[in-house]
Amino acid sequence: MERKDELINIFSRSIREILNRVTIDFDEVQEIRLRVGAPLLMVYRNEEYYVTSRGSLNKEGKDAYVVSKNELKETMEYMSNYSLYAFEEEMKQGFITIQGGHRIGIAGKTILDESGIKTMKYISFINVRLSHQVRGCASEVLPYLYEQGREIYHTLIISPPRCGKTTLLRDLIRQVSNGSEEHAGLTVGVVDERSEIGACYQGIPQNELGIRTDILDCCPKARGMMMLIRTMSPRVIAVDEIGSREDLEAMEYVMNCGCKLIATVHGNSIDDLKQKPILRKLVEERIFERYVVLNNLGRIGNIDQIYDSRGTQLYKAQVHQMGIRWDRQECMAYG
Amino acid sequence: MDNTWLRIIGALLVIISCSGLGFFMAAQWNEHLRTVEKLRKMIFLLKGEIVYANSPLTEAFERTGRKAGGEIGVLFENVSERLSGQQGETFYTIWQEEIDKLPKEVCLSKEDKQNLKGLGEHLGYLDMDMQERNILLYLEQLDLTIGYLRKHKQEKSRLYTSLGIMGGLFLTIVMY
Repeated sequence: MERKDELINIFSRSIREILNRVTIDFDEVQEIRLRVGAPLLMVYRNEEYYVTSRGSLNKEGKDAYVVSKNELKETMEYMSNYSLYAFEEEMKQGFITIQGGHRIGIAGKTILDESGIKTMKYISFINVRLSHQVRGCASEVLPYLYEQGREIYHTLIISPPRCGKTTLLRDLIRQVSNGSEEHAGLTVGVVDERSEIGACYQGIPQNELGIRTDILDCCPKARGMMMLIRTMSPRVIAVDEIGSREDLEAMEYVMNCGCKLIATVHGNSIDDLKQKPILRKLVEERIFERYVVLNNLGRIGNIDQIYDSRGTQLYKAQVHQMGIRWDRQECMAYG
Repeated sequence: MDNTWLRIIGALLVIISCSGLGFFMAAQWNEHLRTVEKLRKMIFLLKGEIVYANSPLTEAFERTGRKAGGEIGVLFENVSERLSGQQGETFYTIWQEEIDKLPKEVCLSKEDKQNLKGLGEHLGYLDMDMQERNILLYLEQLDLTIGYLRKHKQEKSRLYTSLGIMGGLFLTIVMY
């Protein structure tokens, strides 16, 4: 209930009243979308619903509540805690992160200057993506990621959007950092460029990331990785959504320093990575020792396959009538 | 005999109370100056929190209020608390209401309060530059007030105290 209240308070008064009447479990809500002059939409358990002014959900769009321009303006004010200026840097990237680690994507008219996007005005589209903390969701993968000793493998999580890669990464960090009976905890450095992993609010992580974790919040990944190595001597470095050339250079630096790396990237498969000019190098040079591929069949955070650096499949989800069952398979050559 | 004593005591009381009033008025002037100077210091702190630490208003007001203390510190903390409550009011409304709630002991004139309310009208609006300019504009107003209060401090203090004493003496003479 507390989570629902905390979330609802970021909306304008009228939308707040509607959402208060909604009786579904807010832990299962993934997205709430507001667009000027368009119906209020909610993604719940992977399905999209229209929200009516009485607070009921339906898929047909009957009596759907239409969001007005003023409501969006009011919502922006509450979301930013009356301080849009404090989110200037984040707004340039098109999103802000609020207390609780929820990410709010915004779109409108961009204002440009010589250095690029200066700010955004006429914000007419808002996408509230709710952050989920699923403790234990990485337990299935973890045995595949530890080397014989106490180190872990360089790991890349590949996943399409909305499949729970950040959720998995978060739990991986927590478990690697805390350690277990079989594996001692490792010092983890997290570069949280978009405040999504730790969801730091005033510097304090709102999500549990383990007792041996240091977080560099809102720092560009490439620069952050270098900084952490020099200052916090981590054994493992974790980053979300890699993709740029600078990221790649920093990752090579991290690996040459003897640190292990856990990263995530957008994609459907290893083949997808091979299509992208920058990321292709990662696969060809066998930089990563483990690839974890996710899908969202059935539920968020489903692990589809796990491969090693040569593309050998170590793990595959088996689909049967009742849904998805996880089976360890004998090694099968990939592709 | 008794009557004379009573008259002397009455006269002394009139002189003492009138002088007291004069001293009180002079002290009020000084207190007003001190309050405005403290407010200026707090606004500087607030500017630092907003412009350099990039803190949102809730955090900036809370930290500044706690650091500064006093009645105006409490005002800042109350504003911060109401902002975090997110009850669906605008910042300007909260700011105005909290200023109106300031206790009477806080030595601020009507004009000072009006200017202070004016600061809240554009706070939080647009970008960082706008915040800085808005605060600097208010600091300029405060500097003018402080300049005026300092310039007239001595003469006003002297005026109020001597008016008090002389007024007391005058009344005594008239009533004698």
